[in-house]
Amino acid sequence: MLDRFNSNSSKPNAVRILAIVFFATALLFALIGTVMGDSFYIRLATEALIFGGLALSVDLLLGHVGLLPLGQALFFGLGAYVSAVVLKEWAASFWLAIIVSMLFCAFAGLIGGLIAIRSKGVYFALISFGLAQVFSRVIYNTRELGASDGMTGVPVVTVVPGLQTDNPLGFFFVTWLVIGGLYLVLRYVMQTPMGRLFSAIRVNEHRVCFLGFDAWRFKITAFVAAAVVAGLSGALYPMLRGFVSPELMFFQVSGNAVVNVIVGGSGTLIGALYGAGLLTVLKSILGSFTVHHHIVIGLLFVVVVIAFPRGIIGYLVPVLEARLSKKKTGDNS
Amino acid sequence: MTSILEWLQFVLAPQSINGLSIGVAVVLMALGLTIIFGLLDVINMAHGECYALGAYAVVVILGMGVSFWWALVLTPLLMAAMGYAMERGLIQQVFHSKDRHTLTLLLTFGMATVMEDAIKIVFGANPRSVEAPVSGATELFGLFFPNYRLFVMLLGGAIIVAVWLLVFRTSIGAIVRAAAHDKDMSASLGIPVSRVYSLTFAFGVALAGIAGVLLAPIYSVFPTMGRDFVLMAFSVVIIGGMGSIKGAVLAGLVLTQIQSLSSLLISPVWNDTLLFGIMVVVLMWRPQGLFGKLGHA
Amino acid sequence: MIQTPLQDTVLSVKGLGVSFDALKAVHDLTFDAQRGQVTAIIGPNGAGKSTAFNLISGAITPKFGQVKFEGQIVTGFSPDKMLAVGLSRSFQITNLFFDLSVHENLRLAGQYLERGRGWWSPVQKSQTALARADELLSQFGLISKANDLAGHLSHGEQRRLEIAVALASKPSMILLDEPTQGMSHADTQETAELIRRLASEFGLSVLLVEHDVDLVMRVSDHVVVMAQGMKIADGSPQEVRANPDVQTAYFGDKH
Repeated sequence: MLDRFNSNSSKPNAVRILAIVFFATALLFALIGTVMGDSFYIRLATEALIFGGLALSVDLLLGHVGLLPLGQALFFGLGAYVSAVVLKEWAASFWLAIIVSMLFCAFAGLIGGLIAIRSKGVYFALISFGLAQVFSRVIYNTRELGASDGMTGVPVVTVVPGLQTDNPLGFFFVTWLVIGGLYLVLRYVMQTPMGRLFSAIRVNEHRVCFLGFDAWRFKITAFVAAAVVAGLSGALYPMLRGFVSPELMFFQVSGNAVVNVIVGGSGTLIGALYGAGLLTVLKSILGSFTVHHHIVIGLLFVVVVIAFPRGIIGYLVPVLEARLSKKKTGDNS
Repeated sequence: MTSILEWLQFVLAPQSINGLSIGVAVVLMALGLTIIFGLLDVINMAHGECYALGAYAVVVILGMGVSFWWALVLTPLLMAAMGYAMERGLIQQVFHSKDRHTLTLLLTFGMATVMEDAIKIVFGANPRSVEAPVSGATELFGLFFPNYRLFVMLLGGAIIVAVWLLVFRTSIGAIVRAAAHDKDMSASLGIPVSRVYSLTFAFGVALAGIAGVLLAPIYSVFPTMGRDFVLMAFSVVIIGGMGSIKGAVLAGLVLTQIQSLSSLLISPVWNDTLLFGIMVVVLMWRPQGLFGKLGHA
Repeated sequence: MIQTPLQDTVLSVKGLGVSFDALKAVHDLTFDAQRGQVTAIIGPNGAGKSTAFNLISGAITPKFGQVKFEGQIVTGFSPDKMLAVGLSRSFQITNLFFDLSVHENLRLAGQYLERGRGWWSPVQKSQTALARADELLSQFGLISKANDLAGHLSHGEQRRLEIAVALASKPSMILLDEPTQGMSHADTQETAELIRRLASEFGLSVLLVEHDVDLVMRVSDHVVVMAQGMKIADGSPQEVRANPDVQTAYFGDKH
């Protein structure tokens, strides 16, 4: 999984174009949905973006630091539950729910990180998996949180005056801004010394210590950041659907996020979003033909891992930048 | 007010024996997992699904009117064939790449997803039950023990001993251990390393299948049974030490004992948490588990 | 060794030792390295040179003895603590960021110069690190390879980069672990020049472990010879070359 951020190459341009295409297409999709008067597709697109945020958090760990998290849905679900509880029990305030969710997940991420970051490879994957299993089991059995039925009746809230969460296009736009913002922040971070060290850890963690940096501290930071990203995305879920359930923490959700990242292209950030978007569309299309769409996605994933491990964006970027450098007359990158 | 002795005899002992019958199956599964890791350095995230397939194989074979005993013999063979094909056809594809560890993790994870979905499609999501081939109970030390559980313990124990002998006392086992210890050296000695890999993977998968067969009459058979069970299997392997046969046996028996006895004190809901907690503590204190790797055991 | 009044000991190793089970891999190793000089540890196979190197660099914690750098005890220090006091090391088995470009390898290593600052601004603004990377690229003749992946370099170039990365943090002393390992004759000569220049031009103190005795004799100011885990000679290259124990250790009992 190559370094994509060489200081003097046209790769960032290729990625930038693909990112613009993604967000523009998403917006277009929602606008078409509004024009057609069908809110189902707008809500689907919003949900795709929300799970795209979870995929971003997985890519941060898998594609950049090099840790495979098989339980990232834990933080997604925690963010969702905290958001629902805040909205129902505390105050029906969008901003409060978001902020409290993020803080809670940062704290949870710190605890989880202290447990998980001592390990690498499969041990990390299993601890991550185990944490999600354990906590989803706990919540499943907690009556105060609705047990297996989850919590319903999350109130509609006002994001800004005039824009409420039950407005499909409006809330889509809010989600679009949040996820877009997360993407931009993460891309920026990857261009900072800290972000570059994340990649260095993935490439050769051993040497990083000999460069004078404490790899453990960076891994914890990445883990907490990923928890916050997942939690923030999760916090939007109850605002969209009006309920939360323990299923949000189940392995299916974690697994899907990993599939999204690998199919889209790990290490590219935008690949995670493309993966989430494309697979949501694919599931929707397949779902109208057969109820067994899961296995198709599973097979697609296996094929990608074997034959196209760099994912869609991973293969598109070199192609695109070859085109771009041809256009630059007399410029050889 | 029951006396301590009576409590030991009527409450603790049955739990412990039950735990032992589960433990034997857990050990079989853990053995498969640890042997695959010890030799191939591959984490088989689809191991739980192999266990589930073993159980479903019993359902199918019984459904065809064939006896349980045939299922016991045929299932490992079927699973071994499937495992061989999986290793040859899928795992070999990514085995030689630079990102081997991540890719095999992802690949077996993908295989697990596909297998679980396939099970759901073919058999439906509803749980199936399998009738135990032996019924009734035997009286031992004043207590009644279900015959099937005793059978599981005996047969499972025998298989574990057989595996031990195979690995440590036969030339086949020596070949496998040599290949685990030093792949290139073994190849230059004329050992068909690639075939040894595929056969070993097949063997590990077959063990998981046997575990599935043995536990099918005890637990019901449902599509996500693999995933639920795999955390237990991995915990055993991690605590025992990845690649260590001794570790898998000890950790498997001890942990299942802890699990069954703890259900006397705490609600079964917290079972997973307890085991997971133990695994985390062991990982933090001694990351390589209790014992070493297969090639070096 | 005669103690001259102008001595400036930068690294002091006293009674260093470690055993692996019954084998005394290194036993009672004592020597001093002077500032601005190239000190080399040589010895036949199995002498314990690599173990000695790892003991000094902190990779293995010594059972006995002490290592002092600039008067401060650094025995068994972790890599980041070593770097903080100014001790850097390179690796015998090339340990670069193979999937990153040469420039990025050097920039990452040079980032240490800015530790604590600039974590929140993009790397383009880390002038110190970027300047250091450019500086090293030209010093080590790697400018044309700046954008190539480190994994695509020739072995000789990789070994050079290995040293460059170790130097990026501007240490006062560098520990080189078999720097010419596997190199061609021409590359070895170039590297020898480089090592000499590190000391003479840049005033660095160098400790190196090497198999290539000729190279060591040419570039070093001070040679320590080990055999079977113990020091058997310690002095200038001429002194050591003439030492009969050294000859026995390398060539057997032929006089």
